[in-house]
Amino acid sequence: MTAMRETLFNNVRILDGSGQQPYSGSVRVRGNRIVQVNRSGGSASAGDALVVDAGGATLMPGMTEAHTHFSWNDAATLAGIQTMPLEEHVLWSAKVAHNYLKAGFTSCLGAACAKPRLDVVIRNAIQSGQIPGPRYLAASQEITVPGGLGDEMLPHLPFPEFSFGVVVNGAEDLRRVTRTFLKYGVDSIKLNLSGDNFVPGADAKTTWMTDAEVAACAEEVRMRGKRIIVHARSCASVKQALRHGIRLIYHASFTDTEALDMLEAARDEVFVAPGIGILYALLHEAEPWGVTHAQAVTMGYEEEWAAACESLKAMHRRGVRVLPGGDYGFAFNPHLKNARDLELFVKYLGFTPMEAIRSCTLHGGEVMMQQHQLGLIKEGYLADLLLLDGDPLASLSILRDPKRILAVMKDGVFAKEPPIGRTHAWEMAA
Amino acid sequence: MADVLFTNVRIFDGGGEIPFQGEVLVQGNRISRVLKTGYGARSAPLAGAQVIDGAGAFLMPGMVESHTHFSWNDQPSLESIQRMPPEEHILWCAQVARRYLDMGWTSCVGAATAKPRLDVVIRNAINDGTIIGPRYLAASQEITVPGGLGDTTAPHLPQPEFAFGAVVSGAEEMRRCVRMFCKYGVDSLKINLSGESITGMPSEMSQFTEEEIRTCVEEAKAWGKRVAAHARSTWSIKQCVKLGIEVIYHASFADEEALDLLEANKFNHFVAPGLAWLINTCHHASDWGLTPEVTRKMGYHRELEAAIESMRAMRRRGIRILPGGDYGFAWTPHGTNAKDLEYFVKYIGMSTMEALLSATAWGGPMMKVGKELGYIREGCLADILLIDGDPLADITVLQDRARILAVMKDGHFHRAPPVRQARSTRWAA
Repeated sequence: MTAMRETLFNNVRILDGSGQQPYSGSVRVRGNRIVQVNRSGGSASAGDALVVDAGGATLMPGMTEAHTHFSWNDAATLAGIQTMPLEEHVLWSAKVAHNYLKAGFTSCLGAACAKPRLDVVIRNAIQSGQIPGPRYLAASQEITVPGGLGDEMLPHLPFPEFSFGVVVNGAEDLRRVTRTFLKYGVDSIKLNLSGDNFVPGADAKTTWMTDAEVAACAEEVRMRGKRIIVHARSCASVKQALRHGIRLIYHASFTDTEALDMLEAARDEVFVAPGIGILYALLHEAEPWGVTHAQAVTMGYEEEWAAACESLKAMHRRGVRVLPGGDYGFAFNPHLKNARDLELFVKYLGFTPMEAIRSCTLHGGEVMMQQHQLGLIKEGYLADLLLLDGDPLASLSILRDPKRILAVMKDGVFAKEPPIGRTHAWEMAA
Repeated sequence: MADVLFTNVRIFDGGGEIPFQGEVLVQGNRISRVLKTGYGARSAPLAGAQVIDGAGAFLMPGMVESHTHFSWNDQPSLESIQRMPPEEHILWCAQVARRYLDMGWTSCVGAATAKPRLDVVIRNAINDGTIIGPRYLAASQEITVPGGLGDTTAPHLPQPEFAFGAVVSGAEEMRRCVRMFCKYGVDSLKINLSGESITGMPSEMSQFTEEEIRTCVEEAKAWGKRVAAHARSTWSIKQCVKLGIEVIYHASFADEEALDLLEANKFNHFVAPGLAWLINTCHHASDWGLTPEVTRKMGYHRELEAAIESMRAMRRRGIRILPGGDYGFAWTPHGTNAKDLEYFVKYIGMSTMEALLSATAWGGPMMKVGKELGYIREGCLADILLIDGDPLADITVLQDRARILAVMKDGHFHRAPPVRQARSTRWAA
């Protein structure tokens, strides 16, 4: 048997993702695992390893995006997602997956896809090595009710292909749709429990599904060992999710004391990924796409932003895990700006930079359901690593600067190779 | 984009001359200078160019594949092509497109796609940089008749999605079908004029009425599209000439009259015989149940003999014969396409020079860009291969990925030449 490939990162500042302060040392990767973490100023001996002399750059675990939509196509509207034909949509999703990886997201959690099998196909293609991309958990489409978020059919064009969501009505309908997605091989079923200010007549404070519908879905999902994830902006929808044992809640903008108590009681199991990026973008950055600040206020985004900041600060205080991942993939909130969530966490939600880092490393491994082997720089852990020019604790913004991300490793293999120091530009063939 | 200067290379320029020692400068996406250095000429100093010392390697134009099916999925049957869902199928096509470029095919002519839009989408995605692949002309599905090659529906499963072809009957259905593919944006329409022995309808049989074929050609011309035909039978070859179908695939059973017709119109047609399919189905498909006894009974051995005779005669008469051979089946896997050049030498009697020219000089017009492609000449598009070895001495070196040192398409290295490495340290920051 041939020796496993080894890579040795010498002279790195290790930010291990657990919350402890960075330290100098070296990290050895063998195969797809971290096998040695040395805490010292000296260099480790190379042996046959490829040596990366990092010159003091920061080495941290790869980031996890907890709310990813590869198939959102940077369009300005929800309907714009669906005008992309199937074939183009697959290639788009593949390209976006590759870009996330190069941007330092070595794990992504699918939060819904726009056509039935996009997420599953992309996950499988990544796993088989056909395309490059992060570790990925594949989601269903958004399951919604007539008139809810995701139902993009027009009254005179009542064709399901126009909707990026699947429109169901009644517990048995939901059960059938859930089974169909489980047949396709999804990791998660996505339910839209609440409305969204983007949808006329179904604003963020409204709640749409009956308990009987949610229960039918939950029963099927549990039977097959999969996960339910929910779009839940309204207070009632957050409580509904918790009542049904749902453990990954997106948004959770509106809460009351009862909801916060319920979240705190479940804090060892529950994750909240607020998708704060899109709220911020709609309020402050969407004007070129026709959403002025005044319009955004009218749509209810100012109220929601204020409520969300209060809710999430309270959750963070109470020890609920709040994770980055912010509905990127719209014209006003495009893919690859995702790491900005970390800055927003610090600026508006009372996180320290270290807590923000931990939300995409330690907690990232947990939300990917790989705690104890993913999300830290620790011996035995999977080798998902970023090499950074600079200190993210001093400036989180370097995490969204491609020039500052010197290298990305996933599963022991470089997705982005560290630059070679060149002395001259001659190349010799043969 | 940095300029690239290849020095110390043996240049095969696509014009049929003996290769010469020299230098090639690429600026932007074009070849801007070709210099013979064998007679003591010194190269001018250049600022800012990336210099590739070819160390005597063979530099030639990128090759053109004339009969490409990205969506054939290396399976042993036509039916299994359609078992692949569209999402997986488009990723497969993207993967295969890249493999062709890896192997030195910088241009490919789509010969038919398995689902309506696969070819068009892949072409567009290559052009806009979403995926990596050769220059590409996108084809329609194979247009066929009920029961013909491409109709893989079963009597109890008549849904059109089961067929990799588009099944039509009657001139007006043909017209609708052609218009639909033109709407989707294809570069060429593919029509199946003859049978194909493995499907049950022998290759010597023909299908479609002349009226249907005429409608196809008429409608395609109205949209400014090219027509390409699967034409193994004698009648179908003659139909191609008579009705002006530019690309003739297979042409196995050409009789004297057909040869005369082709010769009289030889610059109006391209013939791509796809010998690989015949040769490998006859001799190398036993692992998939197609033993020589089985394929002899199907008629493939007789067809192979006829095809060799036809191609030898066409070569003598100066008819343009191009490589591209229905790769994409289990026994003709994608990426092995350069075997066609070996077959041309071995079976048709071409010199290695003629075989190389069939993949280069004929490639430009086949790609509808005239002499802009297929030559290492000033002003031509920079599609360039660097080969370790001499294909004129041994045409099979082009089948070996390791011998293809570098592939440049449109002035960009798809595969850069290997850098000599002294050690394996990488310096970050």
